[in-house]
Parts: sequence; C-alpha cells; structure tokens
Amino acid sequence: MADATIIKPDLQFVKEIIKGGGESLKKCYQCATCSVVCNVTPEGNPFPRKEMVLAQWGQKDELLASPDIWLCHQCSDCTAYCPRGAKPGEVLNAVRKQSIKQVALVPFLSKIATDPKFIWLLFAIPMVLFYLIMPYRDVSMVPLLNGKMSYSNFMPVWPQVDATFMLTAAFAAFSALVGIKRLWATMAARSGAKGTGSPIGHVIPAVTTILAHKKFADCDVNRLRQWGHLLLFYSFAGLAVVTTVAIVYLYGWKFFGIQAFGSFNFGKSPYPNNDPMKILALVSSVAFAAGFIILLVNRLVKAGKAGLGGYFDWVFLLIVGGVGATGMLAWALRLQEMTAGYWVYYFHLVFVWTLFMYAPYSKFAHLFYRTTAMAFARYTGRDTK
Amino acid sequence: MAENKVLIVGGGFSGLTAAVEAAEAGSDVIIVEKNPYLGGRVTQLNKYFWKMCPPNCGLEIQYKRIKNNGQVKIYTMAEVEKISGSGGNFDVTIKTQPRFVNEKCTGCNKCTEACPEERSSDFDFGMSKTRAAYLPHNQAFPLQYVIDGKACKGSSCAKCVEACKYDAIHLDMKAETVTVKVGAVVMATGWNPYDAAKMDNLGFGTVQNVITNMMMERIASPNGPTLGKIVRPSDGKEVKNIAFVQCAGSRDENHLAHCSYICCLASLKQASYVRELYPDAKVKIFYIDIRTPGLYENRFYTKIKEDQNVSFLKGKVARVEQAPNGDVKVTAEDIHGGSKITETFDMVVLATGMQPTAASLKNAGVAMTDDGFVDQAALPKGIYATGTLKTPVDVARSAQDATGVVMKSIQSLRRN
Repeated sequence: MADATIIKPDLQFVKEIIKGGGESLKKCYQCATCSVVCNVTPEGNPFPRKEMVLAQWGQKDELLASPDIWLCHQCSDCTAYCPRGAKPGEVLNAVRKQSIKQVALVPFLSKIATDPKFIWLLFAIPMVLFYLIMPYRDVSMVPLLNGKMSYSNFMPVWPQVDATFMLTAAFAAFSALVGIKRLWATMAARSGAKGTGSPIGHVIPAVTTILAHKKFADCDVNRLRQWGHLLLFYSFAGLAVVTTVAIVYLYGWKFFGIQAFGSFNFGKSPYPNNDPMKILALVSSVAFAAGFIILLVNRLVKAGKAGLGGYFDWVFLLIVGGVGATGMLAWALRLQEMTAGYWVYYFHLVFVWTLFMYAPYSKFAHLFYRTTAMAFARYTGRDTK
Repeated sequence: MAENKVLIVGGGFSGLTAAVEAAEAGSDVIIVEKNPYLGGRVTQLNKYFWKMCPPNCGLEIQYKRIKNNGQVKIYTMAEVEKISGSGGNFDVTIKTQPRFVNEKCTGCNKCTEACPEERSSDFDFGMSKTRAAYLPHNQAFPLQYVIDGKACKGSSCAKCVEACKYDAIHLDMKAETVTVKVGAVVMATGWNPYDAAKMDNLGFGTVQNVITNMMMERIASPNGPTLGKIVRPSDGKEVKNIAFVQCAGSRDENHLAHCSYICCLASLKQASYVRELYPDAKVKIFYIDIRTPGLYENRFYTKIKEDQNVSFLKGKVARVEQAPNGDVKVTAEDIHGGSKITETFDMVVLATGMQPTAASLKNAGVAMTDDGFVDQAALPKGIYATGTLKTPVDVARSAQDATGVVMKSIQSLRRN
C-alpha cells in the first residue's frame, strides 16, 4: 500500500454545499450524463461529473482551486438530463458560493450577503446609514428646486451620496482585487500548468467572450437566459455610463464654468427627459426591466428542469430587482410630484449601496471571478474555445 | 364453496408457468392472453442468457404440458374487462377480439398466399411486413392463423375465404364477451420495452441504425426479419462495429427510475451474437455499472470480458448523432480515461428497459409502487401478481416466481 492515496474529506464543506443550494449532491451516481450534455465544458477532463464526486467527498481544496467551477455558466442542461435529480448545475452554484467566501477579503461580509440568517443585517446597515445622513427626515420640509421635486435636495449629492458611494465603491473594488488575486494564486498553485504569454493578454479574449455572451449561446435548456442576462448586463453598463456622465454634469460645469452644450444639460439634477444622458438612462431602465423579468420568469418556468436555485441566487435577484424597481418608481413619482417618491428614493439608495458594497461578496462576484477563471483557463490552455 | 378455477391474466412465460403448475395440481385454469399467441416476450427472443439456448427450449415444454393436461382453457386476443366478487368467488368478464380464423385452421398457409394486403409486423417491431392473413411467427401456439382486421379489406376481397379448404375463415366474426367464475386470479401481464423515442438525446427514430435491444433480438433471431443475419436496417450492411448503450431509460428519474435488471445481461448476450457471427467484429459496451448479480450471471460477464474484441467503457452515452453513410456517432465521458469521447459505429443498440404494465391495471383499483409495478402487499384477497409485473426479472426467475405464486393462489382456493 505504499502508493495509497489517503483522502481526507472536509465534512464541514460538504454540509455547507448541501445547505447552500446543493441538497441534491448525494444523489449523484456518477453516470457522466452531465459531462456529455454540457456544451460549455472542455472535452478533456470535462465538468461537472468530476466536481460532483469531489464535492461528495469533501475535496474542498481541489474544487475551489479549479477554474472549472467558474467555467460553468449554469445552463442547467446537466440538471435537466440528470437521471438522478442530483442537479449538478445547482451544486456547482453552491460550490461557487464557497469559492466567493474563500477568497473574500472580509469573510463575514460574505456571510451577511449569502446567509439567510443575516438578511436583516444586509439591509439594516444601509437603512441606518442613510437615515442618519439624510438632512430632512420630515419629507414635507424638503425644499423644491425651481418649484419641483428634486432628489438632490432630499439627499444632497455632496457629501451624502457621492462620498458614501465613492468610499463604498473603493472598498468593493479593493475587495474584488484582493479576491481576484487570491483566486488566481489558488488556481495557479494547484494547477501547476505553465501558462503561455502574459496573464493579462488572456483577459481581453475572456472579456470579449463575456461581452458577446458567447457561452450562454451554447446552453440548450436555458436558452432564453442568454437574452435576459444580455439585457441586464448591458443595462448595467448603460447605467454605469450614465453615472459617469452625471459626475461630469455635476462637477464638470463648476470646473469649466459650462452651463449647457447642445441638448446636454450640465448642473444639478433633475435633468429634462430629452437630455441624451436621461434618454440613455431610460433606455437602460427598460432593458433592465425586460432582462430582469426574462431571468425571473425563465427561472420560475424552468424550475422543474433546471432547479429553482437557493437563497444565494434569490437574494441577489432581490437586490438587483430592488434597485430597478425603486429607481423606476422614484422617477415616476417625481414626475407626478408625489412626496412618497422621497422614501422610494431612500430605498433606492439602500438597494444600490447593498449592490455596490457586497458586489465581491454576493452572487454579483461572478462578474469578477468568472472573468478571472476564464482568463486563467485560457492562460493554462484549459479552455481555448 | 369456492370455484376450483384459477384465472391467469397474461400468457407469457410467467402466466404459462402458473397455468401448467395450477393445472397439474388439479385446478381448472383459464389463460387470457392479449396476443394471438402464447409465450409473450420470450417468443421474440433469439436466445436466453446465460445458457444461450433458444426460447423454444422452455416454451415447447410448457405448451406440451398444457396439451397433455387438458384442464387449461385459453383465450387469445382477449383481455379482462372486469373482475368482481371476492376471494374464492370472482366473476370475470373477458372480451375477445375477432381473429376471423377458427380452430379448424390447419396452418396450411393458403390464406396468406391468397391475401393481397400487407401489414407492418408488430412482432418484428415494424422491421418486416406480413400479409393481412398471417401466422404471428413460425413457433406460434396455438398454431392458428390470424387476420388483421385493420389491414383486411373484408368481404369485398375475401380471397382467403375462397383459398381456405377447411371453412376456417369467417370475416364476419365480431368481438365477444364472456363471463366466467373463478376462485383466484393470478396477474402476469408482464412488461413492454420502454419507448426509446422518449429519450430525445439518444436518437431513436431520428438517427438511422439506432435500434433497441428487443429489435436486436429479432434481427439476430433465425425467424426474424433478416433470418438471423445481423445487418443494419438502413442498408443491410454487416454490423462489424457495434455499440451498446446501457441504462437507456432505466435508472433514470426522467424515464424509468428503476434498474431493469435484464439489460446488462442482454447486452452481454447480444455482444456474443455479433462476435459469433463475425470473427473480426468489434463491440463496445457503454455502462454506468455492469449489473450481473448471481454466480452464473457473473461468470457469463467474465466470459464475455475475456473476448479482446469486446470492450467496456464506463460512462453513459448521452448524445447520439447521425454520421455519414448511415453510421452512428455516440458521445460519452470516458470516466476512467478522463475525457469526453466521440466514436462512430455501424449500429447502436439502446439497452432499453422494462416498462411495467401495471399502469393498465390501475383502473381496476390495483395499487402500484412508485416505480409503476404492482404493489403485491396491497392486493385484495385471492388476487396475485407474478413476474415482471412486480419487479424486473429474467425468464428463469419469472418461472420460479410464478411457481411460488400459483401455490399461494391454490392455497387460497382450498382455504375458502
């Protein structure tokens, strides 16, 4: 028995996977249907069959150091064809949750973001925060701007909104960078494969694959999700542009003393609905709503075949949906001059802050870590498609 | 006083065994069989595993015992419509479809020769055609021709009536209903091959030269559509490179959740058909686990494994596609080898499993297990189930079970 390998199962890890949406894990009997029906796996050493046995045996280190858990896009073709109802798609999702937790800069934040026991804290922190910094708790006291409702009078852009969000975004960005670095190091240490070229050189093709949503196109059962995710993804991108432009609007005019340029309106919000920035915001909002509804309906309709997901998924959908719903409702209420809009706007800030703050700790982290793993897989020749 | 009569529903191997055992123990027996012949699925087989003898081996003995005994009444092309009463005294309604041929038939084949109409042979799973007046197969018992009411043009044609010298053909026969009294009922309605077209990733019905294991039995059988030559359906090419896809629908919650038990041994058996016929043929069996429980069954597996031209690959086939020239491309994960592989074969056999027939008895209030078999513990007094109606078993175990179950049914007659 000189060449025997002793396997040490991490039972706590198995329990966490089962608790985190992978309760069907133990049903797998290793038939490998999943690896065959999966259209996104590399041909050599394919997933997710091997991940299922590794997870059953509590092989935490090996699993969390594999880029494969992130190459999976949860098409759920595997889940639909699984003869045992073992739902490999759901299990891998639960494994990714553990991966996010493992590389987290502040693991407790990951707990808040993914553990149902802490849902109160998740929203209590920003609710208290914004309540404390808002100047008018009696919304009837909020002064009008040119005789109209203005959210920038309710919650001043500086320092309340911008200082809070800049600090939050900076912290989130730092957390994400640390997480990316840790994930890469873990994968590199385990893989032992020699990379080709510079790691950065592999990021660009990975990003273009993501931008084009190429991997989603290979899904069969969850085909519709490609469009839902695409719309949501680009609406986020659109809103990010809007936010950037808004900063220029706000601070640029002060800096250069410019009031307006064509139909671009510089200065304090709100801006008229024919402003290009406003139009982009509205288009993005519609795409956001459409994408969100597609994803939501798709998940519910396909639940029988693809699985319903766990708290990890639903809390993320809640935050994203909350951002969209409060944002659009606040806009509508302002146009109607209804002061209830102030409180809706307050909750909008709460949701947006939650989204930013927990980006590297919640399901949102897939944006960073899947990109990292896809680049790593290219770098090591694992996934060249 | 209870009727000393046992009703056997289904005349396959289980039903036949139950019938002869009951009759030889002194009870009257009625067999109700849906097909125009007895013997059930076994009649379609080429050979039994693991002894590799032809099915007539067992069937002829049972037929002989029935003939010699004289206490067995057989209704073919018949189904039980209703059972009422209770243990010891059941009233059974039996509905018989018209055969259009009576017992005066001598099997001279003149009607077939005269018949101008064709029908697809369900006995050969549609791989051959017969005339509308036909003999189900050359070992059919009772040896009596049948006229397919759907394919026959009736009295407007009547060429067979003219051809028959024995006044055996009556095209005006109608369905008949009879009521009989019995003391006990043994249900032995058996199994059907699972509908392979339901597995949308395995290509049955859409990819040429993908067949089921029961079709393979017919192809390999000397009285089959190719007279025992193993050639592929699309172009008659000799099958020199064949794949078997295990668990095609079995052990699968989306299809049959249970293990059908016979399919591993059937594929091993069929591998030997090909190997015996073509010394240079290659066989590949894709499996999850090879299940051959039992001493002789396992020896059979070991024996087939010794053949260098039969290889085994651990990993279930989950994709079957058409390749050029009628070949078939299958994809599986080679679990031991560690990669996804795609290989091309002349022909692919899906080892489909046993769809229990208990569902058809559900209306009669028969309790079923989650897998769709009869829940024998929940059966009313005087009614018994045997064979593949209860659980997937092979022929030998069907015979054993039927013998045991019929003993219980006879005891119930004596008890009343």
